Amino acid sequence: MNLFQLALRNISRNAFRSWTIFLCAFYISGFALAMMLIVHGAEQSLDLANQRLGADILVVPNGSEQKVETSLLMGNPTNVWMPREVVEKIARLPEVESISPQLYLATLTNAACCSVSNMFVIAFDPQTDFTITPWLEQRLGRALNPGEAIGGMYVFTPPGEEGIKIYGTFVRLMGNLEPTGTGLDRALFISFDTAYDIARNSRTRAVEPLQIPDNSISAALIRVRRGNAAQIVSMKIEQQIPEVTAIDSPELFLSYRNQINGLAEIVWMVLAIALVLSIAIVDLIFTMAVNARRREIAVLRALGSTRRSIFFSLLAEANLLAFGGGMAGLALSALAVYLFRNLLVSSLQMPFLLPSLPELVFVLAIGILVVLAAVSISVLPPALAASRREPALAMRE
Amino acid sequence: MLISLKDVVKIYAPAKEQPVRAINGLSLEVPRGDFVAILGRSGAGKTTLLNLMAGLTRPTSGEVLVESANLWSLGDREQSRLRNRKIGFVFQFPSLLPSLTALENVALPNTFGKRLAGDEARVRAGQLLEMVGLTDKRNAFPRHLSAGQQQRVVVARALMNQPDILLADEATSNLDEQTEQEIMTLFQQIHAETGVTIVMVVHSSYLVRYATRSIQMANGKILSGD
Ligand SMILES: Nc1ncnc2c1ncn2[C@@H]1O[C@H](COP(=O)(O)OP(=O)(O)OP(=O)(O)O)[C@@H](O)[C@H]1O
Ligand SMILES: [Mg+2]
Repeated sequence: MNLFQLALRNISRNAFRSWTIFLCAFYISGFALAMMLIVHGAEQSLDLANQRLGADILVVPNGSEQKVETSLLMGNPTNVWMPREVVEKIARLPEVESISPQLYLATLTNAACCSVSNMFVIAFDPQTDFTITPWLEQRLGRALNPGEAIGGMYVFTPPGEEGIKIYGTFVRLMGNLEPTGTGLDRALFISFDTAYDIARNSRTRAVEPLQIPDNSISAALIRVRRGNAAQIVSMKIEQQIPEVTAIDSPELFLSYRNQINGLAEIVWMVLAIALVLSIAIVDLIFTMAVNARRREIAVLRALGSTRRSIFFSLLAEANLLAFGGGMAGLALSALAVYLFRNLLVSSLQMPFLLPSLPELVFVLAIGILVVLAAVSISVLPPALAASRREPALAMRE
Repeated sequence: MLISLKDVVKIYAPAKEQPVRAINGLSLEVPRGDFVAILGRSGAGKTTLLNLMAGLTRPTSGEVLVESANLWSLGDREQSRLRNRKIGFVFQFPSLLPSLTALENVALPNTFGKRLAGDEARVRAGQLLEMVGLTDKRNAFPRHLSAGQQQRVVVARALMNQPDILLADEATSNLDEQTEQEIMTLFQQIHAETGVTIVMVVHSSYLVRYATRSIQMANGKILSGD
């Protein structure tokens, strides 16, 4: 029998007290972790999407920025067009280092033309592209040939088929990009040539042809020359070419970021309130429990237990419970977030990416430390009072 | 001298109540090996006196010495160690830990002093339980023991660390006559066999015969002693 075992016995004896502390730790840590994973996952997702685009400025037709952002993040295709000459105009600006146009296409919903319905297809210009091409060089060692494609993380060739059918044409999937947690994971990337080939062929091979308006593009990605602020360059672009909207990269997905930040604020507030409430509840319950054990504690003192060891064994009791509850809460919530990640994305309408294992472990460790600190704070006053009480007085009560 | 009290005064001053002089200028010496019985009416200050001897309450004035060490010049750690090693306690109220078995309760004082390893402690606790006649109850929890059996476990626990002093506060007042006699005989036997010094509060004068000496208390003072 040692003090640790004594603490364990006390835990099993006082079920109400024990469950209260356990459950407080369980709910707080579980809720905190779930919220942190969601908020952090969404933020990381946005950052990765930004990185994937790899542009300082995204230029889209006037008024379509919301649509384009939603497409990029959630993966539902969009259909926006602006004149191709926009590219030449922007390229003439001295601050612009490179500019690359893109076409945003879509497969049809529930149509025989295509393997995947309503898929977001992005066509890029291999001549100027700086987003997909570096990845291709690294992984494939060459550019895409006509009829070849690269997919986001979750794009795959239907089993038994030679490729992904788009408007009657099969394209061969040559590889997958790393996940971003956004709609880009479900998008297909093809070259301009492939896109125009598909459009041409679709007139004979598909019931409904793929329409790509002449001399039009959907968006353009811009890299700014060193030493120029993207914000100022995008203002300049908008001034000179009124029919487009230029979004510099910090502004990209801003509405989503604001939404996430708003959510995060509410979550932190609710958590703070819950934490304060739990501290108060645990303090109350523990004070009651310690009062009920006054005599017993006095007896322990009479048998030779020091104030210090009384204090620390009470603290140990509470922390053991909090550790158990906290671990259970964290484990369950991590599991729930993992299992329901897809549901989360569709119901919250937010991008989401699971953290890497080291990140998760780090967050879990922080979570446990916070729970232990909170419990220690709550039981500190009663534990201190109980250890300081004069044994002779405590015995009389 | 094993225990000496010099001019000890203990005043309780509870909030919103009149202060009580529970011990009123009391001096007492208990030499090693004595078996002292303390008599006195309810409220005479008997429990307070025992608590003072063990350092469980601080005297308002005066000194309490155990083996010439002033209890209240010691820090909490030394005081606790002294209690743990030198003093055994039998309380006026049920004092077994409900979550521990009889054997674990007996071994408990060793937890705070750690003089014996776990196995040795269990062996010694077992021997003590045998001495008080409860070998078959070693794994029973207190709630499954009778009042007399519980008190015997408490006596065994008090002896666990081979104390120099055994302080007992009305150890038998809740027991029937037969059991009372058994427990008192047990104390007598322990005193004879181990030579431990016993200070025992008794509730009636016929119990004085078990002791070697008796003290009569009233109003926080010693009326007479032989
Ligand atoms: N914590 C306390 N607060 C206030 N008064 C107290 C306290 N402890 C004891 N007293 C008072 O001090 C006096 C002595 O009490 P004590 O318990 O020592 O008496 P006792 O001789 O042991 O009595 P009993 O035979 O009933 O156990 C009593 O008047 C009691 O009311
Ligand atoms: Mg008393």
